[in-house]
Amino acid sequence: MTARNTTHATFVIERDLAHPPAKVFAAYADPKKKAKWFGGPPEWKSQHTMDFRVGGKEVSQGGPPDGVVHKMSGEYWDIVENERIVLSYELHLDATRISVSLGTTEIKSHGAGSKLIYTEQGVYLDGYDDGGQREEGTRELLGQLESYLKT
Amino acid sequence: MTTTTHGSFVIERAYSASPQRLFAAWADPTSKRAWFVGGDGWDIQSYELDFREGGRETSKFLFLKGEEMFGEKTVFGNQTVFNEIVPDERIIFTYSMDRNGVRFSVSLATVEIKADSKGSRLILTENAAFFEGADGIQMREQGWQELLGKLSSFLNETGATQ
Repeated sequence: MTARNTTHATFVIERDLAHPPAKVFAAYADPKKKAKWFGGPPEWKSQHTMDFRVGGKEVSQGGPPDGVVHKMSGEYWDIVENERIVLSYELHLDATRISVSLGTTEIKSHGAGSKLIYTEQGVYLDGYDDGGQREEGTRELLGQLESYLKT
Repeated sequence: MTTTTHGSFVIERAYSASPQRLFAAWADPTSKRAWFVGGDGWDIQSYELDFREGGRETSKFLFLKGEEMFGEKTVFGNQTVFNEIVPDERIIFTYSMDRNGVRFSVSLATVEIKADSKGSRLILTENAAFFEGADGIQMREQGWQELLGKLSSFLNETGATQ
């Protein structure tokens, strides 16, 4: 029997954004817009497909040249226009599943802009990753979202 | 206006059944149906289980006290997707709950099964997001406590024949 283990972790990231909820929501909902900020570094040549509706799938796959393939496979579970998106996703390194997560993105009107609250509840499998690393990676992604929104 | 809350719980329970028998009670559609759906106060309208990674489990059940509690005929719906299945050891799934077609929660659940000297131990960890009109984390934990009790009864009743 292989030694298997799990760790569970939850993190919450909040960002105040200078853009109205509709613009922030569109950056998640429109595949062309999401592809501009969501994914690995440019040299990973990530392939991204998404079907933004409840039950629809999203896949982002890429990695360093000749390196490990990072594959995110997600499914949308709840969408409320301009307010909430719930996505579950698995992360694979090559053929190994390293985590399963439930991510809730809440967007609220806040002054002239909006407040984004991202809550991720995850299970990390067999020692490949942990909540701290995932939070760090997610903060980078949300930084990319902020840069994209400024363009 | 939407409201979202998050919560989690862990339930540990000992069973006299082996890990293999315990796992089979989750994997086999007839066994799973016997303890997972039904019971007093519920009329099962549909139940389907496709137990494989990426497979789905769907059920619809009429809550007989719906008129009394919610003022209308009330049908609950459950949809599950199995993310990971490791035979006899681990099942990870994502599931949603709907009331009359309106989604009120999405959960990530991990079931771990470990052998021990008296049979096996099951550890269920649930992380959930609750929306407008949801039951909330305490009722959800109570619901799973009842289900895992029904699983125990099912294993005891079928123990002599398996």
